[in-house]
Amino acid sequence: MTARLRAWPYLAPLLILLGVWVYGPAVFTVVLSFLDWNLTTPPVGVVGLDNYAALWRHPEFAQSLVQTVLYALVLLPFSTVVPLALATLLWSRPGRAAEIYRAILFLPVILAPVAVAVAWRFLLNPLQGLVNEMLGALGMPPGNWLGDPATALVVIVVITAAKVVAFNMLLYGATLASIDRRVVEAARVEGATALDVARSIVLPHVARPTVVLALLSLVLAGQWTFTNISVLTQGGPDGATDNVFYRIYTLGFTFFEIGEASAAAVVLLAGFIVVALAWGLVRRVSRAT
Amino acid sequence: MRPDHRPALFGRVAWHAVLVVCCLLTTFPVLWALITSFKGPADVFSANPIPSPVTLENYAAVLSGWPVLPLIANTFVMSAGVALGQIVVAVLAAFALVELSPRLRPAILVAATVALVIPPQAIVIPQFLLATRLGWLNSPVGLIVPQLGAAALAVLLLVQHVAEVPRSHVEAARLEGARSGEVLWHVVLPALRPAIAAVGILVFITTWNEYLWPLLIAPRAENATVQIGLAQFQTEGGTDYGALMAAATLTSLPIVLVYLLASRRVTDAFLQSGLRT
Repeated sequence: MTARLRAWPYLAPLLILLGVWVYGPAVFTVVLSFLDWNLTTPPVGVVGLDNYAALWRHPEFAQSLVQTVLYALVLLPFSTVVPLALATLLWSRPGRAAEIYRAILFLPVILAPVAVAVAWRFLLNPLQGLVNEMLGALGMPPGNWLGDPATALVVIVVITAAKVVAFNMLLYGATLASIDRRVVEAARVEGATALDVARSIVLPHVARPTVVLALLSLVLAGQWTFTNISVLTQGGPDGATDNVFYRIYTLGFTFFEIGEASAAAVVLLAGFIVVALAWGLVRRVSRAT
Repeated sequence: MRPDHRPALFGRVAWHAVLVVCCLLTTFPVLWALITSFKGPADVFSANPIPSPVTLENYAAVLSGWPVLPLIANTFVMSAGVALGQIVVAVLAAFALVELSPRLRPAILVAATVALVIPPQAIVIPQFLLATRLGWLNSPVGLIVPQLGAAALAVLLLVQHVAEVPRSHVEAARLEGARSGEVLWHVVLPALRPAIAAVGILVFITTWNEYLWPLLIAPRAENATVQIGLAQFQTEGGTDYGALMAAATLTSLPIVLVYLLASRRVTDAFLQSGLRT
């Protein structure tokens, strides 16, 4: 028996799992998007592009698309500039204290998103929550944080941002760890300020990971918000915090509109394919230069 | 103090100040929830950060009125099952891709990477239909098996570590007539132990915190996980904030304990997963 044949039994579990639970469902999503199927009844039949047309007729879907992009743009600095600044700060004074700060700052990644969302809801309670109490003490009017479309979106963004900052701070930290500290010391001896070091040593080092993290956050930002939206706002008020990821869930599991939800999922998948192709292009270009 | 030391001292103080503020900003809500869980009904809403008096009545209320221990048990079974299952699948696949058929490696690693990037929401409807058709609604199997499809990340992480096992050790075992299974068990697996621990911790924590799939597949209270139980508790018993905060604390406790005991190992595991993407 050749080595290649012997490999298959070892690979089979992975390939079966990927086929049944990832790639199969991806293909089946496309199929479902052409069916008229409300989960409560058997599939009625093939309806072609009707589900896509229905999505287009409902302004909620367009709104969720726009807001998916909005989330990505608003979260962009929190996946690049902010964690880079924090990681540089930690890197500039290595030692026990930096380790402890890093461990605390990473907590939002570890903590259960539902528990964090519940804690936020308590702080933001419109009647007696701590945030409004504090504002009152400062003589400012209370806010109906989760009930007001504008502030609800900000709340979801802030909670999500803490997690994104925490994770990317770690990634930037690993990149910075590969900088030769002797170069930095030599520069400092020659009279370079901390800002000079940041600009001419740190920045060139982190340029490439920043591009990757920015792209990644554009792709994943909507996904990161899902649990917060589900626990705190259910996409409301008036769809203000909705995005495509939550829209698919609402269509499929609140309205049981399997066809329309699948069509929305196909739109999302198509978006991912476009970004993946763009990413491949960026990598090819950056390798060539 | 000599004058030229003053900027250094100022810099150090500013450095600590900025980081302390950042730590407070990101962890304050959770910290406040923890504090509130020890407050009595009279001062739940007070801005005083010190509970007066410190009380455990919220914990008593949660433990007696809410199935917190079964929820934790369900979540533990799911997280341990998913972690163990993914490790077995990924070790087998990583071994095959490095030792048995390196030619398949690029293609299968691409397939694994693509699987990781597909957003869960985009494929969750067929997953749900299939799992319910199999009769897996409200069952541990339904919670565990579909989440094994995410083993792709574990594969990507472990392939590098299998590749780092010295060739000479593998060759030596082969010369002594060891079959592939024996090479895996006696040579590769012992060398992989730290990597397996890291992947295990990573998968365990992310599965413990998983929300979407448990929400759909195990909605019944007896089978739910802590995240779903907590979300339901919030909508049903929303006014008893002391108990709610105690519940949030209890359900986060196992993960936080793991993190306190092995924070370096946990961050390293997350780091590796992030560097892959």
